[in-house]
Amino acid sequence: MLVFRKFLRDIPAVIGAAIVLLVVFLAIFGPWIAPYPQDASASHLLRRLRPPSLDFPFGTDNLGRDIFSRVILGARGALKVSLVVVGLAMAIGVPLGLIAGYNRGWLSEAIMRVTDVFLALPQLILALALAQLMGPSVESAMLALSLTYWPFFTRIVHAETARLRNALFVDALQGIGAGTPRILFLHILPNALSPIIVRATIGLGFTILVAAVLGFLGMGATPPDPDWGLAVAQSRTYLPNAWWFATFPGLAILLAVLGFNLLGDGLRDLVDPRLRRSR
Amino acid sequence: MRITRRDTAALAFAALMAGPMRGHAATPGLMVRSDGQPQSLDPHQVFDVPMMGYSLNAYDGLYRYQDNPAVLRPWLAESHTASADGLDWEFKLRAGVKFHDGTALTADDVVYSFRRVLALGKAPASAFLPILKPDSITAPDAQTVRFKLERAYGPFLAAIPIVAIVNAKLVQANVKDGDHGAAWLSSNEAGSGAYAFVAGSLTPAERLDLQRFAGHFMGWADNPSPVERVAMRTARETSTGVLGLMNGSIDWTDSYLPTDQVEQIQSSRAARVEKHSSLRTFIIRMNNARAPFNNANYRRAMAHAFNYDGFITEILKGYADRNTGPMPNPLWGAPKDAAGYSYDLDKARAFVKAAQAEGVNTRQPIRIHIQSQLEQTNQAAQLFQSDLQSIGINLRIVADTWANIVTATAKPETSPDMWIHWVSTYFVDPENWVGQMYDSRFHGTWKASSFYKNPEVDALLGRARDLVRQEERAPLYEQATRKIMEDCADIWVYNTVELRGVSNRLSNYRFCPAGGGAELRWLQLKG
Amino acid sequence: MAGFVLRRMLLVLPSLFGLLVVTFLLIRTIPADPAVALAGDNATPAQIAAIRESYGLDQPLPVQFLRYLRGVARLDFGESQYSGRPVALDIAQRLPATLELTFAALVIAIGLGIPLGVVAAMHHNRWPDFLLRIGSVAGIAVAAFWLAIMLQMLFAMKLGWLPLRGQLSAGLTPPAGPTGFLLTDCLLAGRFDLFLDAARHLVLPAVTLSLGGLATITRFTRAGVLDTLQKDFVTYERAVGFPRGRLIWVYVLRNSVVATVTQIGLLFGGLMAGAVVVESIYDWPGIGSYTVQAILTADSKVMLAVTLLIGLIYAAVNILTDVVHALIDPRLRESR
Repeated sequence: MLVFRKFLRDIPAVIGAAIVLLVVFLAIFGPWIAPYPQDASASHLLRRLRPPSLDFPFGTDNLGRDIFSRVILGARGALKVSLVVVGLAMAIGVPLGLIAGYNRGWLSEAIMRVTDVFLALPQLILALALAQLMGPSVESAMLALSLTYWPFFTRIVHAETARLRNALFVDALQGIGAGTPRILFLHILPNALSPIIVRATIGLGFTILVAAVLGFLGMGATPPDPDWGLAVAQSRTYLPNAWWFATFPGLAILLAVLGFNLLGDGLRDLVDPRLRRSR
Repeated sequence: MRITRRDTAALAFAALMAGPMRGHAATPGLMVRSDGQPQSLDPHQVFDVPMMGYSLNAYDGLYRYQDNPAVLRPWLAESHTASADGLDWEFKLRAGVKFHDGTALTADDVVYSFRRVLALGKAPASAFLPILKPDSITAPDAQTVRFKLERAYGPFLAAIPIVAIVNAKLVQANVKDGDHGAAWLSSNEAGSGAYAFVAGSLTPAERLDLQRFAGHFMGWADNPSPVERVAMRTARETSTGVLGLMNGSIDWTDSYLPTDQVEQIQSSRAARVEKHSSLRTFIIRMNNARAPFNNANYRRAMAHAFNYDGFITEILKGYADRNTGPMPNPLWGAPKDAAGYSYDLDKARAFVKAAQAEGVNTRQPIRIHIQSQLEQTNQAAQLFQSDLQSIGINLRIVADTWANIVTATAKPETSPDMWIHWVSTYFVDPENWVGQMYDSRFHGTWKASSFYKNPEVDALLGRARDLVRQEERAPLYEQATRKIMEDCADIWVYNTVELRGVSNRLSNYRFCPAGGGAELRWLQLKG
Repeated sequence: MAGFVLRRMLLVLPSLFGLLVVTFLLIRTIPADPAVALAGDNATPAQIAAIRESYGLDQPLPVQFLRYLRGVARLDFGESQYSGRPVALDIAQRLPATLELTFAALVIAIGLGIPLGVVAAMHHNRWPDFLLRIGSVAGIAVAAFWLAIMLQMLFAMKLGWLPLRGQLSAGLTPPAGPTGFLLTDCLLAGRFDLFLDAARHLVLPAVTLSLGGLATITRFTRAGVLDTLQKDFVTYERAVGFPRGRLIWVYVLRNSVVATVTQIGLLFGGLMAGAVVVESIYDWPGIGSYTVQAILTADSKVMLAVTLLIGLIYAAVNILTDVVHALIDPRLRESR
């Protein structure tokens, strides 16, 4: 409870949490909230590129679709991509980090060297190349991003595990004959959870951003997906006159990523003892 | 001390921001092009729309297409003769033509250029490789070039302008490891054209400068205020080029303007849109080799389900002409009586039923590949998607790139169900359209990616190719086209109106379907 | 010290080899067939096969890899399948533009980020701090491609203050060298008019690219300063009535900047990646726009070379950062 009250005093983090809740809410209930849910795919050639008005708060796009609705509907795709990517990256990265941190021999060394190789790869370029390799689609973008994001988790978990390996409770567990997987997953992992959660929260925001870049470059989401990055790319043809077409999807990206990052920072301040001292 | 530093910073900032207020005072004599430069500057290695935008200015050919409709005019050649069987061709060259370095252009340069095209075997060679051997191109004297063809080839003269004539001595001096000077010429120039490449001005795919060549053989008497210098500055997106046009920093965009840009440009006082009916067809491809598209009734259902008029009037704002067949309407060899397919969902439903009766599974979802860089392909696909939905066909849109699609079209198994593209004018001859699109000998190239196979059509197209006289060839192409349309091999949508944004500083724009109006010699520049 | 540097460099070698293998395997298997693109619009299948053979694209993958390794060792990355030009030549021609842009972005990020970080720390947990924190997170959260478009609309189209695209106005001829860095060359040639024009073209891309780094530096400076403020010497100085401004801006900052220096090293890699998007929107003639074009045309040799280049820069910056650290903190030299 103390922690929660402390969190509430951190205004930016609270704002972040509110934004994240909003994005999650829109992702779940979007189709019921959006004024024109059918505009996810339908087109209305007779009301193209209308400026913002009461009927269309964010205006309409090149196919006459309500941008406000499509911004709302885009939340689900953005969240889905980021959850899958971060989930997959954790599924690869966390076990590797545990093994590498607990082990002392060549295996640990090998895992960490491979991790280093992947860390040195320019993520965006690799993701673009992979998306090209598999044919541009949301699925290949998700796979590409997961394949480039897992090393971050390996690094964190490795560091935490290596620190905890020599802790008294691990010695005790080994003493009473607990198996290695048991020690790793039931005892060490929970203790390493806070940095993982922090990293994952920031990773969710970061993934939304990179997925938007892929969509923008035509290597991610495909039409008629109400994807935010794709919408900005499509809007360029109609600038400078149809300024609303480019503006609102971009603001949606900004807001969503901002929310996850603020929340992640707030969480980090809560769990990082060094920063806790400095307050 | 601190204040002084701040002042300095403020001054620097002011200096940066306080350039000429409205962007750019145009430089006298200079025009800026935002359409892309070719992949390589060697006109014998690349042959596409950007290359024509360069080579029509830096190089000359024996003949040249000009005006609209395109007329084939003698250019470096004064005249030609052909034997009755179409095997022997003789071209007489104009006297006194000089290359940019001052060397005289002779028949030897022409022979070298054609042999070089054959030896390199790249894009411009495809029209000549089957009919021409290096030794059968000869120069009996300095002003005469002879070609002896292996067999008669109808489109031979039509394809002659494809080959740019290069300065043989200059290129030969730069040959390395027997590469025919390919490495050197891809970033240098050895031509005689009206504009000369400025040495050292090239950053590939970014910038390139051309300077007017006062000694061009056509002279400049007909142009009182020609463009002195051309700065090619590639804008990656057409939209950037349009923005530049509107703020005065760019004078000339590519000719694929999205129609939505037209009004925007027309409303700015700085620029206008040049609109010209061209020979560039817009096609929705169907993979005839694969189910369900191997059924003609299914294909006909598809053809009746595309909203042609809606697409042309609403999305393209009328800047396109409905073209019901594979050949551009204005071209000879296009049958004037074939009606083609109209937007009619009832007919479409009837054909779906007919296809179902023939055992076609119309429930299976089909995929259409669009070129994600080209918004129009996306718009067409989305329009198609919503109409197909109403007749119970599930169309999925796949964003793809030119490079990927072209690779996939090598085999019917990997080729997409459907995809969307244009066929531009590489040479003005039916061979450029139906010939290379529906003759099964071209299966494996992107142009023939519907994998249509009809022995009757193959025979007609083969015969037309082997004849020389247009009067004899035209009925064969018409007949073949009618058959292809009856079989509904693809969905033919429109013939392009080319739209190019041009600054009002430029006048006397002369359009030609081959090259899309990129010949700059005519242009007059004020200021 | 020399031994330490050498050891760090040797440690990097296996990673670099791994980098080569991984990128080669991933990119080499791209289905898009450059031979088809090369053969051009009217090619026959036989022509395509001939071209494939002449580029060695028909060889088994290990053979292609060995051939590639041999080339890389001689700094020969082969020829771009798209343009036929040597990739190394293209990179050499374009790298200065990217480095100039990245450096400018770094200068903006450091020049603004450190003072902002200090200000945030001085007003810890009050409104200036909150605003700066939200602002700095927004700097990381904003999509560069979107920001670039917005800045173009405002400054190039609406206000007309700054150029829309490119590196230099079309009517101007850049000096022919000697360094390849446009701004430097303009100064060396004494052409201040060119310098000013080039600088104006640099503003929007550099600002767009700098935002992420600016935010990071602000955050790390803030954290570093907060940390130092807890230290005993600060409490002491405060107690004896040392002027607060001088205390913070000189003594505290000097002690807090170590963490920030590390970040600057790491940032450089991030900036190179960010340049991919920024360059292609502003038509900046650097490595980034080259990369995007290579990816869109499936030009695998270019993709390999660029990935390797950025990996190399990343490794080099990492070594440099470690060395700087070791210089500051001699204990690290022993522990490694």
